[in-house]
Amino acid sequence: MTHRYIKITATAVVLSAAFGFMMWTTLRDGAEYFKHVDEVVSQRASLEGKKVQLHGYVIPGTILNKPNTLEYRFKVQNNPIRAGEPGQVMSISYTGIVPDTFKGEAEVVLKGQLTSDGGFHTDPNGVIAKCPSKYEAAGGAPAPAGL
Amino acid sequence: MASLGTFLLLSSFVVCAYAAVSSVVGARRGSRRLIESGIGALYLVAALMAVATAVIINAFLTDDFSIRYVAAESETLQPLFYKITSYWGGLNGSIMFWVFLLSVFGSVAVWVNKERHRELIPYVVATISTVEMFFLYLMVVHKNPFTTFLTPAPADGTGLNPLLQNYWMAIHPPSLYTGFVGMTIPFAFGLAALITGNLDDSWLRAVRRWTMVAWLFLSFGLMLGMIWAYEVLAWGGYWGWDPVENAAVLPWFTATAFLHSVMVQERRSMLRVWNVTLVILTFFLTIFGTFLTRSGVVQSVHAFGDDPQLARLFTGFMVVILTFSFGLVIYRLPLLRARNSELDSWVSREAAFLANNWILLFCAFFVAFATMFPTLSEAVTGTRMTVGPPFFNKWMLPIGLVLLFLTGLGPLLAWRKSTVTNLIEQFAWPVGGMVVTLGALAALGFTQWAALTCFGLCAFVMTTIGQEFWRGAMVRRKNTGSDVFTALVGLVARNKRRYGGYIVHVGIVLIFVGFAGNAYKRDVTQLLQPGQQMTVGAYTVRNDQVKVIEDGQKQSVVAYISVFKGGKQIDTMYPAKASFRKHQNEPPRTDAAIRRTLPEDLYLVLASFDLGTQAISLNVVVNPLVNWVWLGFGLLAFGTGIALLPETTFSFALAKVGSPEAATTTVAVIVALMLFGAPRSAYAQHVELPGSISTPTNQLEKTMRDEIGCTCGSCAHEALSKCICGQAAQMREDLRAEIDSGKNHDQIISSLIVKYGGEHFLSQPLDRGFNRLAWLFPYLLGGVGVIGVSVVAMRWSKHGHDSETTDNAPQDAAMNERLDDELRNLD
Repeated sequence: MTHRYIKITATAVVLSAAFGFMMWTTLRDGAEYFKHVDEVVSQRASLEGKKVQLHGYVIPGTILNKPNTLEYRFKVQNNPIRAGEPGQVMSISYTGIVPDTFKGEAEVVLKGQLTSDGGFHTDPNGVIAKCPSKYEAAGGAPAPAGL
Repeated sequence: MASLGTFLLLSSFVVCAYAAVSSVVGARRGSRRLIESGIGALYLVAALMAVATAVIINAFLTDDFSIRYVAAESETLQPLFYKITSYWGGLNGSIMFWVFLLSVFGSVAVWVNKERHRELIPYVVATISTVEMFFLYLMVVHKNPFTTFLTPAPADGTGLNPLLQNYWMAIHPPSLYTGFVGMTIPFAFGLAALITGNLDDSWLRAVRRWTMVAWLFLSFGLMLGMIWAYEVLAWGGYWGWDPVENAAVLPWFTATAFLHSVMVQERRSMLRVWNVTLVILTFFLTIFGTFLTRSGVVQSVHAFGDDPQLARLFTGFMVVILTFSFGLVIYRLPLLRARNSELDSWVSREAAFLANNWILLFCAFFVAFATMFPTLSEAVTGTRMTVGPPFFNKWMLPIGLVLLFLTGLGPLLAWRKSTVTNLIEQFAWPVGGMVVTLGALAALGFTQWAALTCFGLCAFVMTTIGQEFWRGAMVRRKNTGSDVFTALVGLVARNKRRYGGYIVHVGIVLIFVGFAGNAYKRDVTQLLQPGQQMTVGAYTVRNDQVKVIEDGQKQSVVAYISVFKGGKQIDTMYPAKASFRKHQNEPPRTDAAIRRTLPEDLYLVLASFDLGTQAISLNVVVNPLVNWVWLGFGLLAFGTGIALLPETTFSFALAKVGSPEAATTTVAVIVALMLFGAPRSAYAQHVELPGSISTPTNQLEKTMRDEIGCTCGSCAHEALSKCICGQAAQMREDLRAEIDSGKNHDQIISSLIVKYGGEHFLSQPLDRGFNRLAWLFPYLLGGVGVIGVSVVAMRWSKHGHDSETTDNAPQDAAMNERLDDELRNLD
């Protein structure tokens, strides 16, 4: 019996080690840093050239679209617009379709990379705008009074 | 009304508590009355929840906006249908709907199994009520859908989210929840078996069907979600490895694993600990999935939103489930020890099932890990890292292909051990099918290796299944003397679970064909001035004009797109963006236009527009083979349906119709309609189907019917006077023919022994001097045959192909085939 258990354990260890290694290597390629604007600005040096998901809020009135193209430029800030204090601000460039939910004040997650000029370039289809009222997340639906 | 609703929820909670306590105490004290009252309490909860459901639907229908939930999810102008579906449109209502479904399911499960599994029922009731209590507690203290406004009620509600105002979204949650909730029943039975120590296979029999039903709903719910995502979310795909999608697919993996491994326990009494574990895991994952989507632990576009308190409650509940269940498993380990835990061979069906299980379980853990990765990495390293669809695909693609391969491999391997001869005979066709398909595709210029592998494996699996049906039908045709089609129907009717399972596998193959089509997807976005056109794949699309169309509820911007293929206009499509009046400060809903064909879909999305210049940016997606995914799900549902048919389906169908001919025709037509549609019914007239038992013409026939047992293998060798299956009907006819030819009792027996090739058809072995001799003859014949087969087989395996096939080999092969068939059909 013990002999059998040793065999099973050895197999399990080898298999999990193999899977662990594969997981680790693929994770290195696949994983992306998820950072808020403030963090990106302060850790800019260490994030250069890495894949980053940037979380922020679109500053109203900064969205520029080159006529007859899908090129966009806009600015995001760290804190929600209604918070008053904006936090750090970054300039974003993007070419592609923007989701319906993309507009001023929208909470967005942008997938892309930092550019050398201090901005952020978003990958194609890399704009994810959170819809505040999908289902009943905070903000969209009337905030329940009394709670 | 709102206070009535809250009162109902509260009383449900109390009654649940009573049900749990009284059934446990009743079981400990052996008090039948207490147990019965516990069962009654469980029914009562279902009734109370039904009333509460009625109350909230009534509130939706009467636009009672004093209830917050109604105000948030509905509006006066909302179509009636969506007013009702708003019930499960939001978080609070979805929890309530969950409890309602669970209470109904639980009651039905208990009602059905009350007599059969007396000893388990008290604990089943206790488990179900405890789970109900948890969700009721959530509602009562935290997420009450009946909460009213403290301030005056608003004049109108905000309305259901436009994205959810879709036919698929209306039926997707109920289906998915039914699947999720259904998994509670196997869990309850598993726990009851663990607690009582009744760990023989009887609890499995009780839950097998339930798991299948729940699995069907879960699969169906997943598909509806995919269709919804495809049609409504307008991004051209149907699966994006979003945490919410992952949450739904996790229990699907473990439930699928369970449905396979349960067969190993039934046949070989192995994997008992494993099966209990899978049942517990499946249930745990349903709760985990609910937790993921409702607590805000992971970021998702579909999630219900942040709620730390809910997260804490759920975490507590999950810890309790895991500790309690696995504690019990460890406590019962001595009882759970398998009788024969060793695999006979790695080249056996058990091993294939085991591999299938490991891979499915790995899928579940991998998806869970990758879904939780952002949260985990933040907790461990302090930095939030995320992984996207490419990471999932990198892993799930090869894993999926291996699973597909196993789908084809399993049926080819024998139980216990496969011999080399056996393997060659079994693999020749499927491997041939795969090679031919691969060659043909390569010749046609397909290069994508993953898609090619997938198509090749699909061919492999399809040939395997085809071979199984063909060989089964051939054996049956020989045994019953009917035509192929009849034999095929009889085959499926007699082994519903097995052949239903194969049909499910065909569905899976179609789904994989659809997945492989993804490799050839084209996705182009371009700005189109009015009159300008663009070409994607075989299609050319032209921007004709952009118009604004107004109806009461919404305002839509519609692009008129002419579609050309091969120089000819084939269609005009209308991708649109719709702004809902009640959701004006929200983005419009994008309505993709989809042109469906079996080879490929043309999918148009109006990405943006400029009403002044009439310019649009149009996203054109060509999605090959997408519809095969939906077809596959359809077939999967059909196969599961066949597997779920009760054993007595056909006899029911017959009992209601007077004359056997009429009955046969009716059932045959139904079966034919189900299988091939009306045109096939001409064939179906010959279908030999189990009949009501004809009355014996004389005493001899009556006596002999009791002496002869049915050999179909699925009816526990019942006497011909009782068995209603098709095989028995055939055997009764044989018997009648023998009697009609004027033979006496012993002559008939001898003649039948020759006909059936052995004494196995006799209910009880005859033991009279003369008969022994008479019996010996065919036995000698059979024995010689078996020895011949063994010798040939041994020589084959020793000397390779140098031994010529002997004269009696074909006959022996046929014998083997039949033996195999009967062995396989032991369920």
